[in-house]
Amino acid sequence: MNKKVVNFTVNGEPHEVLVETNTLLLHVLRDELGLTGTKYSCGTGQCGSCTVLVNGEPILSCIFLAVAAEGADIVTIEGLSAPDGTLESVQEAFLDFGAIQCGFCTPGLVLMAKDLLNKNPNPSETEIREHIKGNLCRCTGYVSIVRAIKSCSK
Amino acid sequence: MAVNTRILKPEFEYFVPKSLQEALQLIVQYGPEAKVIAGGTDLLVQMKQEVISPKYLINIMKIPEMQFIKKEKDWLRIGAATKWNEIVDFCAKNDKYTALYEASHSLGKIQVRNMGTIGGNLCTASPAADSAPAILALNGRVKLACLGRERTLDLEDFFKGVNVTALAPNEIMTEIQIPSIQKGTGSAFLKITRVGADISKISCAVAVERQGEICTSCQIVLGAVAPVPLKLKDANKTIGGKHVDSSLLDEVGRKVSEGIKPITDIRSTADYRRQVAAVLFKDVFWMAWKRAGEGE
Repeated sequence: MNKKVVNFTVNGEPHEVLVETNTLLLHVLRDELGLTGTKYSCGTGQCGSCTVLVNGEPILSCIFLAVAAEGADIVTIEGLSAPDGTLESVQEAFLDFGAIQCGFCTPGLVLMAKDLLNKNPNPSETEIREHIKGNLCRCTGYVSIVRAIKSCSK
Repeated sequence: MAVNTRILKPEFEYFVPKSLQEALQLIVQYGPEAKVIAGGTDLLVQMKQEVISPKYLINIMKIPEMQFIKKEKDWLRIGAATKWNEIVDFCAKNDKYTALYEASHSLGKIQVRNMGTIGGNLCTASPAADSAPAILALNGRVKLACLGRERTLDLEDFFKGVNVTALAPNEIMTEIQIPSIQKGTGSAFLKITRVGADISKISCAVAVERQGEICTSCQIVLGAVAPVPLKLKDANKTIGGKHVDSSLLDEVGRKVSEGIKPITDIRSTADYRRQVAAVLFKDVFWMAWKRAGEGE
């Protein structure tokens, strides 16, 4: 058994977990911490469903070792809304524009949208499409997703 | 056979050295059963699919001396464990490294560029690695270190085959060096993929030296068309010292098509790759050529 203690914060809350070295961050979030908003889909870093923010930057938690998250500040989709459940404006926009169909790609896409708007508050459609090109929506609802993100630009 | 992608089955011992010296000691201590892991975007996928099952993983991402970008008089030096998004940001501010910018900006997707490193992309040695054609066209070289010794190798001599490199089992790639960009030169990179964030069907980088309408020197490199990223020396020779016009480029385009050794695989056919190679080369050449002219 190759176990290690890992310390990190998730959505502002500190955690100490004991994990096997081969545990992926995705499984710690979903199975240990019960944060099932982060989705497992392709498992090989192609679809973007497992996107979370590590130290402010989006990464793929299905190909990220939990032990590599030592000391990291992690934000999942659960960390976007306020404690009382009030949604972040980009989440509201996804609802308003019907940018959610089956919903499986939504957490990853919302986090990518948030990341883009943090860095570039007024993105063009091209910039939006470039930023989310690694997040696949198999319902193919891209037009509504792009419109939702565009509506949040300042 | 169904491929597992949910969990990472292989078990391994995990090390996080704080210095290059410590990492080199670990790799000697654990030998061929140890693997260096940087971003893990290739390695962990291969491990999930049980293509490889190393017993020891040595994470080099906590070694500050391996993460840097330094612009010096003669060389641009990039630490092997530098993440792609840092290179994209650097190139966006230093507009002369256009081929490197276009290659790094098109590599994978944002999430992958936040994890993956330049050294990882080269050491995985995929024939389709996006950074390789650009760095080869810019005549880059790599620094490899083992305990008590280091050597510098032209990147061209580093690639030995599909996923095979000149890296010895006790060595770690520490640095990538690209010669400073001179006046009257230009470079470009383009790739063809099926969807947005995808592995290249074929890629091409060109770097040229220009004096008026004469191309004094040219480096043409194609990716995903042979077991290793390919420098097309015959084509380079044909163009060097000549007056550039479209008939010359047609001739060189034919040489590019003939010079590559493509295969048919899940991404494309050999035939398609041969046909498109000539067209892609010409597009990339004109981009590089125009840029070389702007500096004059």
